[in-house]
Amino acid sequence: MEYTAPSGRDSRTIVVIGSSTGGPRTLEIVFAQFPLVDAAIIIVQHMPHYINSAFCRHLVDISHMEARIGEDGELIEHGTIYVAPSDVHLKLLANRTIRLFDDEKVQSVRPSIDVAMTSLERNGNDRFVGVILSGMGSDGAEGIRHIKEIGGVTLAQALRTCAIHAMPRAAFETGRVDLMLPPEGIRERIIQIAGIL
Amino acid sequence: MAEVPCRRIMVVDDDVFILEVMEELLRPEGIEVVATESGDACIAELEKGFRGVILMDIMMPKKDGWETIEEMIDRNLMEGNVVAMLTARDIPDTELEQMKEHVIDYITKPFEADEIVAIVKGYLEYLA
Repeated sequence: MEYTAPSGRDSRTIVVIGSSTGGPRTLEIVFAQFPLVDAAIIIVQHMPHYINSAFCRHLVDISHMEARIGEDGELIEHGTIYVAPSDVHLKLLANRTIRLFDDEKVQSVRPSIDVAMTSLERNGNDRFVGVILSGMGSDGAEGIRHIKEIGGVTLAQALRTCAIHAMPRAAFETGRVDLMLPPEGIRERIIQIAGIL
Repeated sequence: MAEVPCRRIMVVDDDVFILEVMEELLRPEGIEVVATESGDACIAELEKGFRGVILMDIMMPKKDGWETIEEMIDRNLMEGNVVAMLTARDIPDTELEQMKEHVIDYITKPFEADEIVAIVKGYLEYLA
């Protein structure tokens, strides 16, 4: 759980947050007055497409981070939140470039948290954090297993604080979750790991 | 010109007490509350053009909350709405599994007054 600062300028700290039903309430707590941190944060929130833009704007309003809908081919930068658009999958190529693609639903959803998380690759000094918030089903459990395998930190929302605890519970049952935390704890842990810009 | 935020919600619940409480809590906040007692009444409001936040009780006679949402999807009435479910009981995981891209939240009754106002205000911002 202890980290040293990345030694190379080219390294990235990538936080992938998977969230579904009840997740926006948790995200509200996590990102309220959230500082500008030295990480790229990717949020995969299951939601209807017509609220993507407002969801992003709200993150800009409540936090000190940049936030936008991830675009195909975009290079990720620290200090920015990238929201996965509805109806397509999002993955990262070489931990740097967003790739959006239209493929079959995974775990009955698109975008899939598992798809985003399992696209991360062990690479140099890159660091990873995987977070699973409130939601139905088990999307994200394989992703958490993968992030742990490549040396990342894995967090899940404490079950008692979830509107729907199936997703964090499924992640927990993989045996690969480092910490189950309430929203405030998730916020503090991300800030601690990423560091403030 | 700045966008005008949506300030309308529809509460769908066969419990009239819940409808009254929601109106008492939300109207002073400047939020227009459309109170409906059934899934059919909800569909009728949507057909008339309602768009906003919908708080939908799950357990209702005749047409329950899930069936109402299925009808909304089938009739292309989901667009422009943010839907959260209201319920007094836990539900089997499978019931919501197919709905999770359409249902943003799941709110358990009884709820705290401050909590429900904050939740509704938050989701109204998604429709700005």
